[in-house]
Amino acid sequence: MPPSQDPLYAGLGQAVRIATDLLAAVIVGGGLGWVCDTYLFDSRPWGMAGGLVLGLVAGVRNAYRSAQRWPKT
Amino acid sequence: MEESPLHPFELHNWIPLALGGVDISITKAVVMMWVVVSLVAVLMVRAGAARKLVPGKLQNIAEILVDFIRGIIMDTMGKDGMRFFPLIATLFLFILFCNLIGLIPGSYTVTSQIIVTAVFACLVYGLSLVMGFFLHGIKFLGILVPPGTPGWLLPLMVPIELISQLARPISLAVRLFANMTAGHVILGVLFGLSISGGLLIGWLPFAFTIAMNGLEVGIAFIQAYIFTVLTCVYLGDAFHLHGHDEPAH
Repeated sequence: MPPSQDPLYAGLGQAVRIATDLLAAVIVGGGLGWVCDTYLFDSRPWGMAGGLVLGLVAGVRNAYRSAQRWPKT
Repeated sequence: MEESPLHPFELHNWIPLALGGVDISITKAVVMMWVVVSLVAVLMVRAGAARKLVPGKLQNIAEILVDFIRGIIMDTMGKDGMRFFPLIATLFLFILFCNLIGLIPGSYTVTSQIIVTAVFACLVYGLSLVMGFFLHGIKFLGILVPPGTPGWLLPLMVPIELISQLARPISLAVRLFANMTAGHVILGVLFGLSISGGLLIGWLPFAFTIAMNGLEVGIAFIQAYIFTVLTCVYLGDAFHLHGHDEPAH
């Protein structure tokens, strides 16, 4: 299948993939922190702040990992 | 007359239906899904019916597709992954045809609804969890601890790994949905410009519309491919805990 092996398209796909990996982890981290704040510990705003930081770390880690996993062209 | 660029993505009930309080109305998206399913089914069944040694046109297409999916599975999961071939091939073909059919003007892209992509993502991720716990038992929780982590880092690493695991289905769903929606919004806006621009300047956005449509065909393939690859990667992670070691059984 030519389109997915074309370097332009493969690069495009990789870029999009890493961007969403980063974003999703930040969303999940912030969301978990918010849930902790609002329903579990009543610790506003520290849960969400910590969650966002952890989410960012996880996102960078995810992005790094998916960049490593991509077959070299 | 002003119209939101997101207007084409709104769904209206064509045939209102309800079953036990749950709204199961027939909408454009439902009809398009039926079209895609029947198209894929007819194509693959007709292509598989002949089974000639020298394949015809249809059989050739089907063989290329099957070989492509097989290649993805072998690259990411190895030979063990072939037992998931029916699931992965179904996902790939459905998403690919949804993306491609949506590019025909006047039709509808089912994958631009986040609920559709979210169901696929949850299905894939749920399956990987179920399979991981089934194969490895409670040891599967070790996926939260990357190999080689010193003990004092555990309180930091486990939440990070938990977040990165939970982010998987979300990034899977959002990626496909966002790419499809964004592409169609751009096409819609460009085409709107060429209509309102008139003959004098309208040809310029129209040319861009055509060029973007070509790019969108590529994106349709890419997104189906990435969704499939990540499905294989996630299932493979559950299969081989920590990447390279052998499955426990």
